[in-house]
Amino acid sequence: MAEVLNVSVREKLGSSNSRRLRQSGHVPAVLYGRKADNMHLSIPADDVVPVLRRGIKLVNMKGATTDMALIQEVQWDPFGLEVLHVDLTRVSADEKVQIATSIELRGEAPGTKDGGQLLQMVHNLQVECKVTAIPEKLEINVNSLGLNEMIRAGEVEIPADVVLLTDPEIVVVQCMEVADAEDEEPADMLAIEPEVIGRKEDEEGETSS
Amino acid sequence: MAQMPKRVKHRKSQRGRIKGNASRGNKVVFGDFGLQTLEGGWIKAQTIEAGRIAAQQYIRGEGRLYIRIFPHKSITSTPLETRMGKGKGEPEHWVATVKPATILFELGGVTEEQAKVCFSRLAHKLPVKTRMVQRRTA
Repeated sequence: MAEVLNVSVREKLGSSNSRRLRQSGHVPAVLYGRKADNMHLSIPADDVVPVLRRGIKLVNMKGATTDMALIQEVQWDPFGLEVLHVDLTRVSADEKVQIATSIELRGEAPGTKDGGQLLQMVHNLQVECKVTAIPEKLEINVNSLGLNEMIRAGEVEIPADVVLLTDPEIVVVQCMEVADAEDEEPADMLAIEPEVIGRKEDEEGETSS
Repeated sequence: MAQMPKRVKHRKSQRGRIKGNASRGNKVVFGDFGLQTLEGGWIKAQTIEAGRIAAQQYIRGEGRLYIRIFPHKSITSTPLETRMGKGKGEPEHWVATVKPATILFELGGVTEEQAKVCFSRLAHKLPVKTRMVQRRTA
């Protein structure tokens, strides 16, 4: 599903101008690919942030350009609150792309009631498909997942026009018995010292005495 | 038992300075939810262990807890009633140096409500302000 982003050309480049742009509620972006010139764009943050939070990959643009683009890379601030920059790649509707699609677990595994622990080992699957057929997410139903059972990548239901590229033997989600936590005796931290690399045994004896 | 390194190159280290925000270790990678620090500081190995126990007592095997920090730094001190001088003290404990935005702990296999309560209990043990974050989709 493609979302429409209202884009405008960014005339002033550089970090200072980008910072001012962010302060005015826009996100700096760059559009490249398909042997056309790069374009420096500005997108309203209110438009782009919901698209990124929903995990949408394909966007249509209006305004400065009407290209269809794939969200290639997103830069976030260290706290993950603000989008700093977005990379967009031009694509055509009939082009095939390789892309990572997120996995969402649905239902409740019966194995968890028998003392099992539901663990998602993989959060993304690499798939190949046409840009217009990119799934927003892949849903896995765990309602039939019993204790000590697992679902592999090859068993995940994917749409007919999508090809799985990830190794089909990789375990995506499993329900395993929980090992009892070992109660270790509390040791005196001062009595234990790590081994010092490059120090001979007789030297260590001198320091401890 | 509290964590500490198995092998070190030097037994004692200088204090150092914590500058800037974390550019690595600031994303939820293993679980679904993470506890992110909003301040920089030193977190003792005993504090990490106390947090781990508090969290695991709450989740009771339902989910999985991941500890994302490790106490690499030794902290020395001179004994009480000792005259000044005679060199640097002996290592007393180990700390993890964290920058603002570092993910300290992660939880997988639990609901958002469970994670919220669990991290709230865990955060009481920590000497830094924290917030709960979710895995990023983009």
